[in-house]
Amino acid sequence: MDISPAPRPVLELRDIVKTYGGVHALDTVSFTLLPGEVHCLAGENGSGKSTLIKIISGVETPDSGVIVVGGERHASMTPASAIAAGVQVIYQDFSLFPNLSVAENIAMPRQRAVGGRFYSARAARPIAQGIVDELGLALDLDADVAALSVADKQLTAICRALVSDAQIIIMDEPTTALTGAEVTALFALVRRLQSRGVSLIFVSHKLDEVLRVSQRLTVLRNGTWVATGAAGDYDRDAIAGLMTGKDIDTSRVVSAVPADAAIALEVKGLGRPGAFADVDLVVRCGEIVGLTGLLGSGRGEIAEAIFGVRPATTGTISVGGHPVRIQSIPDAVAAGIGYVPEDRLTQGLFLDDSIADNVVAASVTAFAGRARLLDRARMLAFIQSVASRLRIKAPNLSLAVRSLSGGNAQRVVLAKWLMTNPKVLLLNGPTVGVDVGSKSEILEILRTQASAGMGVVVISDDIPELYSACHRVLIVQGGRIVCELAGDAVRVETIEQRIAA
Amino acid sequence: MMNRIAEADGMRRGGAERRDVLTDFVRKIHVNRSVGQMAALLVAAFAIFTILRPAVFLGSYNFQVIALAAPEIGILAIAMMVTMLSGGIDLSVVSIANASAITISMTYTAVSSRAGVELANSLALPLVLLGLVVGVAAGAINGLLIAKVGITPILATLGTMQLFNGLELVVTGGRTLYGAPAGLSTLGTTTFLGVPAIFLILVVVAVAIGVLLDRISLGFRIRYQGANAEASRFSGISSTRTLLATYTIVGLLGGIAGVVFLSRNPSASADYGASYTLLVIVIAVLGGTNPYGGRATVLGVVLATLCLQVVASGFTAMRLSSQQYAMAQGVILIGAMVLDYLRGRGSSR
Amino acid sequence: MSTPALRQRRSGLLSRWPGRNNEGYLAALLLLVVAVMSAAAPAFFSLHTFFSVIRGATVPWIFAMGVLLVLVSGGIDVSFPAIAVFSAYSAVALTTARGVDAGLLGNFALAMAIGCLLGLVNGILIARFRLPTLIVTLGTAGFFRGAMITFVGATYIAQLPRSLAEQSTRSVISVNTEAGTTFLHVLVVPVLILTVLIALGLKHTMFGRAAYAIGGDPEAARRVGIPVQRTQVVLYVLVGALAAFGGMVFMIQGQAADPQMLIGIELDTIAAVVLGGASIFGGRGSVLGTVLGVLLVQVINNSLVLVGVPTAWQRATVGLLLLLGVGAQAWVGRRPRRAAPAAVKAPAVKAAA
Repeated sequence: MDISPAPRPVLELRDIVKTYGGVHALDTVSFTLLPGEVHCLAGENGSGKSTLIKIISGVETPDSGVIVVGGERHASMTPASAIAAGVQVIYQDFSLFPNLSVAENIAMPRQRAVGGRFYSARAARPIAQGIVDELGLALDLDADVAALSVADKQLTAICRALVSDAQIIIMDEPTTALTGAEVTALFALVRRLQSRGVSLIFVSHKLDEVLRVSQRLTVLRNGTWVATGAAGDYDRDAIAGLMTGKDIDTSRVVSAVPADAAIALEVKGLGRPGAFADVDLVVRCGEIVGLTGLLGSGRGEIAEAIFGVRPATTGTISVGGHPVRIQSIPDAVAAGIGYVPEDRLTQGLFLDDSIADNVVAASVTAFAGRARLLDRARMLAFIQSVASRLRIKAPNLSLAVRSLSGGNAQRVVLAKWLMTNPKVLLLNGPTVGVDVGSKSEILEILRTQASAGMGVVVISDDIPELYSACHRVLIVQGGRIVCELAGDAVRVETIEQRIAA
Repeated sequence: MMNRIAEADGMRRGGAERRDVLTDFVRKIHVNRSVGQMAALLVAAFAIFTILRPAVFLGSYNFQVIALAAPEIGILAIAMMVTMLSGGIDLSVVSIANASAITISMTYTAVSSRAGVELANSLALPLVLLGLVVGVAAGAINGLLIAKVGITPILATLGTMQLFNGLELVVTGGRTLYGAPAGLSTLGTTTFLGVPAIFLILVVVAVAIGVLLDRISLGFRIRYQGANAEASRFSGISSTRTLLATYTIVGLLGGIAGVVFLSRNPSASADYGASYTLLVIVIAVLGGTNPYGGRATVLGVVLATLCLQVVASGFTAMRLSSQQYAMAQGVILIGAMVLDYLRGRGSSR
Repeated sequence: MSTPALRQRRSGLLSRWPGRNNEGYLAALLLLVVAVMSAAAPAFFSLHTFFSVIRGATVPWIFAMGVLLVLVSGGIDVSFPAIAVFSAYSAVALTTARGVDAGLLGNFALAMAIGCLLGLVNGILIARFRLPTLIVTLGTAGFFRGAMITFVGATYIAQLPRSLAEQSTRSVISVNTEAGTTFLHVLVVPVLILTVLIALGLKHTMFGRAAYAIGGDPEAARRVGIPVQRTQVVLYVLVGALAAFGGMVFMIQGQAADPQMLIGIELDTIAAVVLGGASIFGGRGSVLGTVLGVLLVQVINNSLVLVGVPTAWQRATVGLLLLLGVGAQAWVGRRPRRAAPAAVKAPAVKAAA
């Protein structure tokens, strides 16, 4: 994509300031978007990137600063004026209507905008068909959106944005839920959009993928602008360093595990049709084993099968040397397996409940005393001890979990499982959405637990993290374990190569 | 500030299911009325009517009326609260109470007409147990439909409400049945130190459920289930067993309420308490129950019951009609929710 | 290069037949019941039965339309019987008190105006304060009924104004059969017109599509520029007017204005609408399905009478039917847990390489 030396920006924000209750969400931040470019907006949680997007789309108004779009200066935008200026945001949940058809989802906003009082399904079809054909997609226009895959929902959302004459499309975490093939297809579509003159802003923390398709990159940190430049000038480590302001400690710290250490988890011939097959896995007490592969490779399904979420149909599992039959989650928990899920907010936490209530959620029955009455004193003592061991930062344990930061919230989930004294702990994406300080602390917690005799399995996309903490790394592809790296063979480049192979 | 961080967190809450959207609403409503506030409301209501009609209102007769009318509604409200805690609702609880009352009454009449009144009266305890068993069975049916078949609670209990009520109509022929063990009527009129025995039953039920929710693991599990069914599942809590237990317990509470019905009047009918279902939902919500699951206090619900009873009898003392009381109920409910909304909006974000 | 996309099994007319909310199955069930009953009691399959069913279903039909509108937009309204009673009774009580007969249209207009106002109260509370619909309408139901008796009156009016009373027996079709004269009440006509209008409105106006959108995802609706609050308020006003219309028809059919009428029908009506395929969670439902649901319940009630089952069993049967209906839906929908949106999707497993 050739961008001429000094083109006029299609969107410009100058010196934007936004405070919430005295705290600067954005402190004099400027940003420009050139025509036809893909611009990646990177930053940790709390960096202000979400706020910037909300200001561009008119959901929030800045305290000061100027927005220049479509050649016009604005002090602030409204959702209507943003849409009129050609700005469309595709949120992570796509904001589609699951109960309506694809065609209606695509065409309805446009028909509304054109001022129609009446809606004709027959008129909507050609509109939808038009954009779908133009982009070379194969969407079923009559399907209910609820029945679509995540990738197809995203495509529907993109079509809708384009039908509404979007000139600037902002995509929030576009690749998080896509498989490798779908990401490739998405990026091909993005290039087609660029050739139509559409400019895109990608907000993402999956930097590797996003850098593949972006021309420029802007990094925010703690509400301030840090850097802007050509995407090709940066690599992942450099960006991570800019995002956090620190040098990431990328050293590898693994304890020695005696070769005759007891086996915490042994899986043989595990399979579930359509998900994975012939999976053998051995985790010794004290080991941290990494499981990785592209999204869709089956790595998540393997963990979920061991935890009983969607049980395997073939194969055996044994924990601590005893064979166990896992057909449900309670089976797994009873066998001594814990699972820290990927979707922390929906699956891992009770957001409106206190830290204490969250921490004890998996282990309540253990505190039953006389007459099945719970020994509250003992319960509280245990909760406090685990909470302080994991360094959960909160003024007191009756605070609602909703108000905690990502790192703290993840510690609460960990605490919940440590309370059950598991023999095996599975973690899916344990440091996603967690600030850097907490990231290394969480890995440290895992190391401590491992050395105390637990077997740990970490599923992750974060290859440096796997390098840093795992004794062995297994690569999953097409539902099978295709490669195992151990000891010195565990290197970032090696892992990357094997995944891509 | 912490809130901001959590919101700016790129992680979306995931799941565009209706429940999440409604949880959003409820956060804005911030239904978290403390027990203190409910007590204050009760005292305020009391004070208002005392000022307006001291002679009538402060008479011991008035207290008796309140203390006699409150228990059956209070027990049903507690039952409703338990189902809401689990993330559901039970529209059939009144029909379960009627089922229990009708069973006891019919069996009593059958026994007494065949074997004499003496024998029938002596069987008071087994008859009461029979009524409770009916309640438990009905609750178990609800539990199975919800936990095993997977019907959403509002629809399942809508159906069972019709079914139970319909069967009761058939069995009673639409008439009111008369007859109950003498022991029950005695129970209805006994007082201990001025406090009616049936009020004590309410207290016992309240304490028992309070203990269940606070000190027994099932109670915790019910709360987790209602707060976030998915996280509860991922924490190893079996939703099937939890929901089955919840609705069975609620059935038992319904059965107890039916026994109280009979204690007050030795009569049972399929349509008794027809207006109670919606009323106890009002009371449960007023008492601080989050209608979408996860929070409530038994004390709050009991206080809310008493508060509405105080208002009811206050209205009577002021010679206001029961229709005006109905109006007041509506106003109180909506007023409380609007206040919650306005307060919730002021505080966070 | 085209992108892989999921295809629905929707090719051909035959697989489209069940309809978006399985109306096809419902219609089939209805036909089945009619067939079975006709076989059991040939007298069933007669014009007499047909007109009788329509007559009995008319009022539930009107109320069900209102319930459908609310359900589609994601709410639950239990105050419509109270609105119906308030509006209809007040219209009659107010005019007869003044010795005035406002005429057929006048009475209906007055009642529906009152209904609109009451619906407006619901709409504002729900849209503006974002209160949960079930609880709010519980509150307003009690309030409306109480207010009516307090401010309008509680007397049973046995003599309706002439303009209304004379409608009680007017018919649009009257047929003499061996069983006697059977007729189709004239009020069926406005009901049918209303039904068609609502069906068209839901399907072909932006307002109707907005209602579905709000029921599907209110936040997404907001983001797309749909005026959610305004749409909801207008919706509840419409529902109020419909309820008032239903109350008037009920009154005319019953030939009396009873302030205690229509107690306890809210849940029955919701049951029929849900049976007709509307989702209690919002976003799904159709006029056709609702009508079929109402008719099915009515036919079953009539069937029982004909077969000699005491009317006492009607309630239980409807309950059982509802449980079977939603039970089947729930059981069929009981696939293995859907993956949460941000979690791993079912992958495409490559053939062993």
